[in-house]
Amino acid sequence: MSDAEGSLDLSPVAAPPTKRRGKWRSIGVLVVLALAVLALLSQGLLHSLNYFETIDQAMNSRAKLGTQTFRLEGIVKPHTIQRTSKGASFWITGGDKKVFVSATGSPPQLFQANIPVVVEGHFTSETSDKFVATQILVKHTASYIAAHPKRVKAPNGSVR
Amino acid sequence: MIIKLSQRLLGPVTLVSLALTLWLGLWVTPPDKVQGNLVRLLYVHPGIAWVALYVSFGTSVIASCLYLWKRTRSVVMDRVAHCAMEVSAIFLALTLVTGSIWGRPTWGVWWAWDARLTSTAILLVFALGYLALRRANDDPELCARRSAVFAIIAAINVPIDHFSVDWWHTLHQGATVFNEDGNFLVHGSMLWTLFLSLFAFTMLFFWLLRERYRLEVRRDAAYAATLDEALDQRRREGVH
Repeated sequence: MSDAEGSLDLSPVAAPPTKRRGKWRSIGVLVVLALAVLALLSQGLLHSLNYFETIDQAMNSRAKLGTQTFRLEGIVKPHTIQRTSKGASFWITGGDKKVFVSATGSPPQLFQANIPVVVEGHFTSETSDKFVATQILVKHTASYIAAHPKRVKAPNGSVR
Repeated sequence: MIIKLSQRLLGPVTLVSLALTLWLGLWVTPPDKVQGNLVRLLYVHPGIAWVALYVSFGTSVIASCLYLWKRTRSVVMDRVAHCAMEVSAIFLALTLVTGSIWGRPTWGVWWAWDARLTSTAILLVFALGYLALRRANDDPELCARRSAVFAIIAAINVPIDHFSVDWWHTLHQGATVFNEDGNFLVHGSMLWTLFLSLFAFTMLFFWLLRERYRLEVRRDAAYAATLDEALDQRRREGVH
């Protein structure tokens, strides 16, 4: 042992309580984390994991749904879109069933015939196929097809 | 030799592939039949999400497993897990932001509480929770062990996030590339540009990981040097 080390005060001192403090901090982090996850889940997934009902599902549970608000998915039927002073009206189809939608508010940029949409609203009555929507959302498919605007159209209107 | 060469090339390859993606995505590829020019986000958003969910989160989880396994336990594994999770948190946030930018003109809303978006947001909370947990402990070994366990538990959400579009009705569309049918639902040059973007963002991840790892090593070295200096000073004080 050197003189320098020999002159040091090497009497035992109490170690700072790092482990206990760390434990409480860790518990605190986990509690905040659990609350944040619960808050996110409570926004929708705890109510239903499905964001919408298909037309088939909605029609099969018409009595249960009644006039309560929910989201309905279907494909916009061609030649049925009519712009109204409050928004738009159109038919949506799914399977062999169809529903008439009367929506308020401006539709999204991509809203058009043959596109899948999710409309939020309710049926006008327990037996009606008329759906009053307060919001239209476009559900884009997973397909990406190149547009060729400069190509010549065939007489039947198709582009190859 | 090969490792040194790949380390030297990592930066240039990342920059070139990102620049090529930008050029192809903005000027060469055609617009989409339905989305028009909105499709150009296809070369950004999926690449970022791919890195966030699978590459970086996956790297962190694998490194965490290797840390917990006694045979491969080392400070290197802990550092890799930590650094990869930091990159993952950034990429997860970017995934949500770029998704929102695409969602507003396409869906008509910035955000929807569907299973895909919510599970991605939860994954971001998990990543932030992991980083918070690392700061909660002063004991480095305990901190490494706890965060490794947490990373593995949090990884349960990755398959939930991935399959959410198949398991439940979501506003977010289904998988375009990694789908159940194995069919690529993208046309010609758009598909190759999409693949290039996945490669470019993967390279960007490894570049960021390497730089972040180097920073962590320097930080540890600086901390050790400070500790040595403090001990030396204490010894000198003892002499006088």
